Amino acid sequence: MTNLENYQAPDEINRWRTLALGIGGIGLIIWAVGCYFDSQNALRSWLLGFIFWGGIGVGGLGVLILQYLTGGAWGVVIRRTVEAASRTLLILPILFIPLAVGVTHLYEWTHLENDPIIQGRGWYLTVGGWIARAVVYFILWGVMAYLLNKWSANQDKAADMEESAKWLGTATAFSGPTMVAFALVVTFAAVDWVMTLEPHWFSTIWGMLFIAGWGLSCFCFVVAILALLSDKAPMNRVLGKRHFHDLGKLMLALVMVWAYFNFSQYLIIWSGNIPEETGWYLTRTKGVWGVIGLLLILFHFAFPFLILLQQDFKRKAKLLAGMGVFILVMRLVDMFYLIAPSPLIEHGGGHEASHFSWLYLVGPIAVGGLWLAFFFYQLKQRPMVPINDPFLENAIKHGKGH
Amino acid sequence: MEKQIYGLLAEFDTPTELVRAAEKVRDAGFVKTDAFSPFPLHEIDEALGIKRSILPYLVFAGGVAGLLTGIGLQVFTHVFDYPIIVGGRPHLSIPAFVPPAYELTILLAGFTAVFGMLFLNGLPQPYHPVFNVPRFALATREKFFLLIETKDPKFNYEETRSFMESLNPQEVFDVEE
Repeated sequence: MTNLENYQAPDEINRWRTLALGIGGIGLIIWAVGCYFDSQNALRSWLLGFIFWGGIGVGGLGVLILQYLTGGAWGVVIRRTVEAASRTLLILPILFIPLAVGVTHLYEWTHLENDPIIQGRGWYLTVGGWIARAVVYFILWGVMAYLLNKWSANQDKAADMEESAKWLGTATAFSGPTMVAFALVVTFAAVDWVMTLEPHWFSTIWGMLFIAGWGLSCFCFVVAILALLSDKAPMNRVLGKRHFHDLGKLMLALVMVWAYFNFSQYLIIWSGNIPEETGWYLTRTKGVWGVIGLLLILFHFAFPFLILLQQDFKRKAKLLAGMGVFILVMRLVDMFYLIAPSPLIEHGGGHEASHFSWLYLVGPIAVGGLWLAFFFYQLKQRPMVPINDPFLENAIKHGKGH
Repeated sequence: MEKQIYGLLAEFDTPTELVRAAEKVRDAGFVKTDAFSPFPLHEIDEALGIKRSILPYLVFAGGVAGLLTGIGLQVFTHVFDYPIIVGGRPHLSIPAFVPPAYELTILLAGFTAVFGMLFLNGLPQPYHPVFNVPRFALATREKFFLLIETKDPKFNYEETRSFMESLNPQEVFDVEE
């Protein structure tokens, strides 16, 4: 069978890992200092980093499931990269610890025992229930990621194509029902971690916003990583312009889906015009938040949409990677827009516009450094492509075509 | 009476031979050419030197036209022509205008894509001289054909015919007008 050595990840990845770990470590120290002085904003910034970077990991699991279901050359060439992203779900529980410890400094509902609406939610919206559910999410994601990664590793060790095809079949059969479970777990997690920041507000499309958003984050991240690796061995022998073209199309589709879901939420709340729903948007369409919302429409949707429509742009790996990084920055702004305007606890639930804090930069850098270090560590563990996959040869040939 | 010739048609057994021959035909400077195959050959566009279609730009223009029509129609009817208050909202309620404008964008872009494709391909075309070659029916099954039209500025019956025979086809046919 194929020689494993030929597809080993390049050694540069180790250097990137050390760099990321250094940045993450420094970020963690600054964050800890900030947490001492302003625990609420520090925890929110940690939540921002956790939702953004953890979202790439969760999105990685979703894309891994998706590519088993759809097939296609793009799925074969990105599989090992999204697998590494999905294995970062192992450290999500560790990154979650500050949130679990500081839950009473983060969520207003932990202080609203006398609020009839919060009381009506019973055990579900209590600290115990909230943490217990998080444990369940991590276990379910962990099982999905563990099994898919194990079967993919079995493929590498397979004695012949038939055995390899059998493991591919197992992973594909598992991915069908798992996609349903995955979508449900993401929905519950997104509601628990982000939507309850405004405990009286609700939106039923919330989970879909995160499924689409995290999927988009994952594709942008993968394109950026693969473009970095595309002129180094072994990926220079694997990746072709047509792979990036396909990934660019998926980015375009998800940019549109993100806009579609967000507008659906807005239109329904705008049409219904009920006070319990409109409050969330009233805060976010006034003053500075309104400007950020407008920037999101322009730069999270309109600009990437018009650029990604162009065929030639999607075929140039470095340009597409640049757009991927740009969209990732806008994803961070989007998450910031969901988290930061929520009412602070010490202000008695008021909606002040002055929620900006320098700490919001520190959390994503600290979490990002640690997350990226673990991602690079995981990426180095396995060959860069599923070497014995029955479709590998075709997938590589596809990229070199027109 | 001399037969009117539309062009010369060469028959090949495999797609690879067709693509090789097409490259030579392109390099020889012929422009009024066409290739026929039972299934799509992605390489043939480049092999024959066919330029990229302008269709994507037309579809984009169609989409923009749909968007502007959608917004214009609603602004005209709701703000100027027959303003009535619905649900206590302003006459100019952009969020409500988005879905119809979006649908019209897709509709006109879709129409432009379908009808533009047909128009640019010269379809529908009920008659084409290549059908005068009986063996051409095999183009839908197992044979690959390459055509050079007499309209080509470089076309010269004797020279072109011997050039096409040098491409090792199964056979070269005269295509009658």
